[in-house]
Amino acid sequence: MHELSLAEAVNNTIKELGRRSAWSRVRRVILKVGRLRQVDPELLSFAFGVVGKGTVTEGSELSVLELPVVFHCRACGCETTGDVTAFACVNCGSADVELLSGMELTIESMEVEDC
Amino acid sequence: MGTVVTIRQAVMAEDEKYAARVREMLTKRKILAVNIIGSPGCGKTTLLERTAACLGRGGSKKFSFRVIEGDIETARDAERLAAAGVEALQINTKGACHLEAHVIENALKSLDCNGLDVLFIENVGNLVCPAEFDLGEDFKVAVSSVPEGADKPLKYPMLFSQAAAVLLTKVDLLPYVRFDKDLFLRDIRALNPKALIMELDLISDAGLESWLAFIAGRLEEKHHVAQ
Repeated sequence: MHELSLAEAVNNTIKELGRRSAWSRVRRVILKVGRLRQVDPELLSFAFGVVGKGTVTEGSELSVLELPVVFHCRACGCETTGDVTAFACVNCGSADVELLSGMELTIESMEVEDC
Repeated sequence: MGTVVTIRQAVMAEDEKYAARVREMLTKRKILAVNIIGSPGCGKTTLLERTAACLGRGGSKKFSFRVIEGDIETARDAERLAAAGVEALQINTKGACHLEAHVIENALKSLDCNGLDVLFIENVGNLVCPAEFDLGEDFKVAVSSVPEGADKPLKYPMLFSQAAAVLLTKVDLLPYVRFDKDLFLRDIRALNPKALIMELDLISDAGLESWLAFIAGRLEEKHHVAQ
């Protein structure tokens, strides 16, 4: 259940952002999450609601955009959109690959109410 | 009407700050930090007990180590290690399924780091959540035991794809349980071609020498870089 810790981290990040901004309430949060993060979007949204009680995010909605695992092959230069269970180039089979996407955990944007 | 604002900020930024501080502090003191992750009962604590026993017997590989023990409840693991002559600091997460860097930073305040070569952090028994959190370690070690079954690497890809080494423990049980070792090795290779795989029997200590050599080698590398 790491979703609870992640939800707390999302909420703390938003609270921190709120200190430097002119908005009073958050309506919606768009979160980008890479597939390698092993996050269950439903659990994360639920946990976000729980940790947000009494804070600036109370009542807001968390939308999770899942990003695929993409890696670049250093041997042949191909890009593979793979799954999380094999890190080898689909073109040449090389395992010398560099991850381009899949580990994201980023607050992309928020819909807020101004003060 | 609401306003949409672009944020593009990493969620774990705060956590990563703690991890960076832990890493900096340990690097300054040339201490190698190893985050040990595996299921409950896979042999993480036994590995550390046997590591102490083997180092105590002498031999070519020598390093001092202390342990931070993460468990949801009880001080049993720290007590086991104390009985084996290892200084261990027990952390009870009281329900949390993993350790986080700020906990390690706090623990380091009460851990005697003088003359210390290696800090082993035994994470809470769990293959999912601990893989997610950077503790400021030099690398992660995944521990998987024969009776758990050979399908674990693909079921828990994040841990096995990140680990610098994978320890297959309880290999003395191979004649008695169904375990497709070829599949296990093949799946790890697919996830993480660079991982060092070691087979251990912690009853007879078979394979333990290669584990000690691995840690001693990484410690030497760290000293080299820190100089």
